[in-house]
Amino acid sequence: MATGVRAVDEQEDEDGEEDEEEDYSFLPLVHDIIKSMDKDSQDVHQELNELKNKFQEMRRLVSTMPGIDRSPEQQQQQLQSLREQVRTKNQLLQKYKNLCMLEIPKE
Amino acid sequence: MAASDKCSTKEKLLAFLDDLEVLARELIEMLALSRNQKLPQPGEESQILELLIHRDGEFQELMKLAFDQGKVHHEMQLLEKEVEKRDNDIQQLQKQLKEAEHILATAVYQAKEKLKSIEKARKGAVSSEEIIKYAHRISASNAVCAPLTWVPGDPRRPYPTDLEMRSGLLGQMSNLPSNGVNGHLPGDALAAGRLPDVLTPQYPWQPNDVSMNMLPPNHSNDFMLEPPGHNKENEDDVEVMSTDSSSSSSDSD
Repeated sequence: MATGVRAVDEQEDEDGEEDEEEDYSFLPLVHDIIKSMDKDSQDVHQELNELKNKFQEMRRLVSTMPGIDRSPEQQQQQLQSLREQVRTKNQLLQKYKNLCMLEIPKE
Repeated sequence: MAASDKCSTKEKLLAFLDDLEVLARELIEMLALSRNQKLPQPGEESQILELLIHRDGEFQELMKLAFDQGKVHHEMQLLEKEVEKRDNDIQQLQKQLKEAEHILATAVYQAKEKLKSIEKARKGAVSSEEIIKYAHRISASNAVCAPLTWVPGDPRRPYPTDLEMRSGLLGQMSNLPSNGVNGHLPGDALAAGRLPDVLTPQYPWQPNDVSMNMLPPNHSNDFMLEPPGHNKENEDDVEVMSTDSSSSSSDSD
């Protein structure tokens, strides 16, 4: 299962969207634990460790994910602000570019 | 609700993870306890299980949102780079405009100064005929070689005399007294128009009226008042210069 978590990280690095629901769900592990408990299997301890490791891995992943330090609304506001800045600066540069340097001001 | 909107996605994800961990532990402990004690409590277990499933679904939704935010973050980084680039462009342009402004201000200042000079020149206009006349006069009295009619005793000199220099523009600019010293004699003697008999030079050409008339009226006395020794030297110089007509004439040609 630990290899599965590592595979999750690699996949996330590649495209990040493949099988997210499958990979980031804790339900399969919980299900395995319950099944092992029903069977009185000795694997239950190992699966409990895997669940614990997965929680740690997910916490590490969340702490390293970029762009989630603010809420989506705040992020959208900042994005709009940046777009506006780029647009304004582009307009300004275009204005300067098209400015006739030899234009004589009318008095 | 408003407070949860202000929370960052990271805080929400970590909170969801805490919830999931607590719920999973609770469920497993409850199942283990019920299995050991053989006390079935299906209602509570299923309630926790449903809560766990619900929280797990929410967590995955939030993870999707977090990945979307990651993409937006990437886009924002690109935009920030673009903004930085535009800022650099604008700063560069501003610097160039400042330089151009400085150059233009200097040019305008110089042009205004020239216009002032032109205006001043227009106000004090001198006719070209007058300049040509003056040029003729200078070339007649201050030529580089003696005229053909020059004879020893002729007071004309091929260079401006001291008095002429002092009465000129340069002399006036440096505030030199034009009537103080003529370079050879004190001013009072000059002003008096006479010299003590001892100093009065006795020149053979003095009675020559023709040579005296060839000078401008204000120059006539200067040459008469020069001391004999000095005038003798001048005379020699003039003669030497006048004989050196070949080189001078070639220069003037």
